[in-house]
Amino acid sequence: MQKTFQKLKQDPDLWARYWIREQVIDAIRAYFKDLGFHEVEVPLLLPAPSTEPFLEVFKTELKDDQGNKWQAFLPSSPEFALKKLLSAGSGSVFTITKSFRNGEGRSSRHNPEFTILEWYRTPGDYMDIARDFEGLMRFILTFKDSPRRSNNLPTRRVLEGRTHLKYQGKEYDLGSPWERISVAEAFQKYSGIDTETMLNEQWLMAKGKKKGYQVDESTTWEEIWDQIIANEIEPKLGQKGPTILYDYPIAQAALAKKARDPRFAERFEVFMGGLELGNCFSELTNWKEQKRRCLVDLAERKHLGRTEFPMDTDFIEALKMGMPETGGIAVGVDRLVALFADTSDIANTLFFPVSELFN
Amino acid sequence: MRANQLKTGVFVLYKDQPCAVVKCEFYFPGKGSAFARTRMKNVKTGNVYEYTFKSAEMVETVDVETVELQYLYKDGETLNFMNPRTFDQFEIPASIFEGKDKYLMPEMKMFFNFYEGEVIGVRFPLKVTVKVTEASEASAGNTVNAPKKPVTIETGVEVMAPLFVKQGEIIIVDTETGEYVSRA
Repeated sequence: MQKTFQKLKQDPDLWARYWIREQVIDAIRAYFKDLGFHEVEVPLLLPAPSTEPFLEVFKTELKDDQGNKWQAFLPSSPEFALKKLLSAGSGSVFTITKSFRNGEGRSSRHNPEFTILEWYRTPGDYMDIARDFEGLMRFILTFKDSPRRSNNLPTRRVLEGRTHLKYQGKEYDLGSPWERISVAEAFQKYSGIDTETMLNEQWLMAKGKKKGYQVDESTTWEEIWDQIIANEIEPKLGQKGPTILYDYPIAQAALAKKARDPRFAERFEVFMGGLELGNCFSELTNWKEQKRRCLVDLAERKHLGRTEFPMDTDFIEALKMGMPETGGIAVGVDRLVALFADTSDIANTLFFPVSELFN
Repeated sequence: MRANQLKTGVFVLYKDQPCAVVKCEFYFPGKGSAFARTRMKNVKTGNVYEYTFKSAEMVETVDVETVELQYLYKDGETLNFMNPRTFDQFEIPASIFEGKDKYLMPEMKMFFNFYEGEVIGVRFPLKVTVKVTEASEASAGNTVNAPKKPVTIETGVEVMAPLFVKQGEIIIVDTETGEYVSRA
């Protein structure tokens, strides 16, 4: 099978699709710099990565010339590093960096090594981030089509004009405001499940079973909840433009602050065209609660047989200094690029997709 | 089988209907165990379903017989194949090939899936090695950037090939994309 670099040599028309990555990344930088955010770099070699129990990590070893050795990991997200800087007083920051996830199936939506954008607005909360995201998407759309090397690149303030994006044969409107629907409303509207049932383990399992989902003694509330989201709710979201699905049950938002209704947390995800584009929280700033959740996660990792590693104690020390009120989000840049390149497989936008490197 | 063993090409029973898995991707929601996001095609009706399974749940598989057959000849919309071991002959509707029958050549072998005696699918070779029967000498490519020209292969199909490909040469064609791959 021909590899991408060979295809590009044979068919130079293909380059146009691959340059969209560069345009999207240039646009992201221009947008956040214009908003006054600092861009920061984060390490790709860590003594302790973040603790999500279900994500498998890449483990390696750092050695020095004296024969000293340290276990080291590639990050699954830049989150902890950025929160240390926020606690130290950086103000609003963003990073465009690589992150890594191991042990996952090959997929058209995900590469084991991926490019992630995270931005944190302070002071701010999740709905401030939603407005940033609305502006960012329209800015990329305008920027991408502006003449290259022009001195008149659009700034964030001149965003009149196009709001329509064509993706996989459908038109999407990126104009503000995007559709917003809470998780509770979505369960009621698309799945016919009321909030009390959704949050009650036994009731939701019973309801799930009635709907034809497989439920046995090992099935968890999370599994049925996720399965209803995947089969009944997600297909209804982001059909005409992006949809913001917000206020997740507390159990589904380990790093978020509680919402006004304390059964929910201030988290949202953005969906469009069958893609999940971003995951946002009003960030948890309480170090004691954060430490407790990290320890629970690490215990669960052990139980699940995932690679074990210590807790990032620097992260907790940083939070003790006082993390300001912050809204933060992780956006998969590869998916954004696929969206603006109008392709359903992110591998079509990567010069070196994993399937060509390791087969 | 468990849903975590699902993959493209497996036949399963979904809502009591025999279905071929045409796409299967695993993912982890931020918090939660793995799920298999699948697209399935009903082998009787052609209807397509999308469904996300928990990776631990049990999925019933369908007994599908797989037989290697050899192509003989075309008769209208019916293609005649033979089992080279038993010499049994089979009439296969052209629609099974989803357009790839244009690459069929006598004696070509491939695997077919049968369900309750009826053919429901074929594993068509990903690449075919074919002779170029017609190629212009001219170097008049379509653009300067992508110098290619149409050539005709022995099955009568036109393929875009690099300018250096000549009549009588043997080339390899990708049957998924219909694109020239290389000289054989």
